[in-house]
Amino acid sequence: MAELHIIGQIVGASGFPQSSLFCRWGVHTGGAWRLLSGLREGQTQVDSPQSSDTAFWSHPIDLHYTTKGLQGWPKLHLQVWHQDLFGRCELLGYGYCHVPSSPGHHRLRCATWRPLGSWQEQLAQMFVGGGPQLRSPDVIYSGADRYRLHTVAMGTVELELGIILRNFDKYGVES
Amino acid sequence: MTTNHPTVFLLMINGQIEGANFAEFDDLYCKYCFVFGHDWIPTSGLEEGISQISSQGHGTQCGLVWNFPLEITFKSTNPFGWPQIVVSVYGPDAFGNDVIRGYGAVHVPLSPGKHVRTIPMFVPQSTSTLQKLTSWFMGRRPEFTDPRVVAHGEGREVTRVRSQGTVTVSFNILTKDMKKLGYDTTDPHSPGLACPSPHDL
Repeated sequence: MAELHIIGQIVGASGFPQSSLFCRWGVHTGGAWRLLSGLREGQTQVDSPQSSDTAFWSHPIDLHYTTKGLQGWPKLHLQVWHQDLFGRCELLGYGYCHVPSSPGHHRLRCATWRPLGSWQEQLAQMFVGGGPQLRSPDVIYSGADRYRLHTVAMGTVELELGIILRNFDKYGVES
Repeated sequence: MTTNHPTVFLLMINGQIEGANFAEFDDLYCKYCFVFGHDWIPTSGLEEGISQISSQGHGTQCGLVWNFPLEITFKSTNPFGWPQIVVSVYGPDAFGNDVIRGYGAVHVPLSPGKHVRTIPMFVPQSTSTLQKLTSWFMGRRPEFTDPRVVAHGEGREVTRVRSQGTVTVSFNILTKDMKKLGYDTTDPHSPGLACPSPHDL
């Protein structure tokens, strides 16, 4: 059986309007994949940068998957949230990226987006905060029901992932 | 030296903690330690160390220089739990007490070769303004009881931190028997060093 190791970290985020940020992340795979060790989801610390405009999390990711097929290659999905002084959390962006399929060290920049409500909701959001959120996080990494959404672009999340493949060439897979 | 059916592979790390870039702080020293999974065993070298105290350079040199050597070899049966280096930087505050100036961690690079990593540093933040004030007076800033916590993913969602400064570490990596065990760690398409063909020599 072929194995995949994802070893890296969620470095940080930049380009968001607020600064006290944290990220909820998860990895979604198809049915043929089985997670042998590691945490498939998590939440980073809340970082408020002292001088730069990039929030740094350096959150480690170490996952060991085994698979019987290539379908459903792992996808990493992210939700960037802002925590204010009072401890309230506000959603700032959703994003996803496929885990790279070639071995080696990769630097990924994942763009994020936020759902946009009606003009009344946008006005209320300017004063009160909050804003529409997705009911289920599946929409972040699937294309099925996207046509219903109207979204606005937010900042980018930086990731550094190292990929190790094992036995893929034995099965004739070139990467 | 060669075995037909190896069961372990070796990871040899040579490198140095080159230095740091902290805008507001001076006279800093760093401690490092390696954090690794259950399948990994260090076979030689030092797992932890403390550097010298270094001051900011003058003139065109900005940033601190430690030039602190790292030499360690691991053996393992499984890439899960790949070693991470955890760096903690300490320095004096206004009253002369030793306080934490930053924690940071990065995975040791996966593929053989020379790699440079810039690690962003962060400090835990006090939960209330009163605690911030008292800790500034008493010289006891919030710090982690065990810096290794920085290398783990769980339990971090409740920590509030402030990021400040970076530390630069360079690595030279050698691996043995990873290919024999079926592991593929290098990008075949990356522009790396090409083997000289017989025509060039």
